[in-house]
Amino acid sequence: MSGSGVNRALELLRSLPRVSLANLRPNPGSKKRERRRGRGRYGGRKCGRGHKGERQRGNRPRLGFEGGQTPFYLAIPKYGFNEGHSLRRQYQPLSLQRLQYLIDLGRVDPTQPIDLTQLINARGVTVQPLKRDYGVHLVEEGADIFAAKVNIEVQRASELAIAAIEKNGGVVTTSFYDPRSLEILCKPVVFFLRGKPIPKRMLPPEDLVRYYTDPRSRGYLADPSKVAEARLELAKKYGYVLPDITKDELFKMLSARKDPRQIFFGLAPGWIINLADKKILKPTDESLLKYYSS
Amino acid sequence: MSRVPGSGGAARGAAGTTGIPRDPPTRPRCVFQEQLQPPAIDIPMARLTVSYSRSSGPGGQNVNKVNSKAEVRFHLASADWIPEAVRQKMALMHRNKINRAGELIVTSEESRYQMRNLAICLEKIRTMVTEAIEKPKVVSKETAQKLIERVEKMNRERLRQKKIHSTIKQSRKADFD
Repeated sequence: MSGSGVNRALELLRSLPRVSLANLRPNPGSKKRERRRGRGRYGGRKCGRGHKGERQRGNRPRLGFEGGQTPFYLAIPKYGFNEGHSLRRQYQPLSLQRLQYLIDLGRVDPTQPIDLTQLINARGVTVQPLKRDYGVHLVEEGADIFAAKVNIEVQRASELAIAAIEKNGGVVTTSFYDPRSLEILCKPVVFFLRGKPIPKRMLPPEDLVRYYTDPRSRGYLADPSKVAEARLELAKKYGYVLPDITKDELFKMLSARKDPRQIFFGLAPGWIINLADKKILKPTDESLLKYYSS
Repeated sequence: MSRVPGSGGAARGAAGTTGIPRDPPTRPRCVFQEQLQPPAIDIPMARLTVSYSRSSGPGGQNVNKVNSKAEVRFHLASADWIPEAVRQKMALMHRNKINRAGELIVTSEESRYQMRNLAICLEKIRTMVTEAIEKPKVVSKETAQKLIERVEKMNRERLRQKKIHSTIKQSRKADFD
């Protein structure tokens, strides 16, 4: 059946004339006629400028001028609402509803640890490291319908979001990525093509150390035993039974964590990835090894 | 997937080996507050009946469809996780919240999320139990005496000031007889 269709198409190609400018035409509705002033009954005469005065003569005062009255933008006193806005850390929100949507559609694989790279590859979030984005913030919208067991690593997470994930038997970790590491994490292939060694991830600045060493925010620098205690506490607070992940079949995957200096799972700082030859180059020099393992 | 072996096998807890600048040990800000708070009461979830329903109030389609009001009920007389005396006190204090079957009912529809409303319900139950446990403050005789003395002193001072004011006003009167 398809054979005759193909044959018919080939016959057409043989019989129809050559494609030339005389045979081509844009799709109806794709090209709209340009509106030109000074032409015809409606575009002409006053040409849309009104009748006399500053309007027609093009001499209107500057934007914001209110005829002499102190304009709004000068009457209102200054206040530093936006002061230092370009130095503030921003986090792209990721709701649990969106995460469930991505998992249901198969864009994100819950059987592997979910990382920022996985989320960006799935086009679930868009992070712009150059616009002072420091990562992703897990938000509780959709906490009631969330039903997926995941090992997720974000940069910030709200308490209810953590509770919702742990209720379903998952694991949340919050970790810090400095802007350079974040850029590499968001676009790994572009970085690998540069041919530079993977840098080590920097530790959080002073004001974030407290957050990332706090077991309640499941920080990656927090004491694991305290994190376990915090999990129990949260379960008591929100009134659910904390599932025992040690008895889970995916326990190994759920407990997979990155080293504080590691950017990618399975790749250490100092390695160079050669995508063309599919090879990994590791440093052998002692001083380099010492630097990268510190 | 697994942690990289070359990075010294630094566990997440052993931050000291990687030379991470440690936070100075936080001095306890309000020690008194921590010592006076009793340990959080453990509520056995299996003994409670939790049900969810639609909340009231504005909100359009969302409030009409989403079950976010949480209701927790449990039979107060048979709750052995609360001491007997406390149970009786609670039955007295919250008799308006107990139905004919003897079940204490706590509801919450303050939040948009079921989980949070459930947490609020549990918190309310904990507060109820804590309030029922606390004993009324016993004011010692000396303190009671001091309080009475203070009130008397205040009144004496007030009357003294009043008399002084009165003499001032009198002295301004010009009485030519």
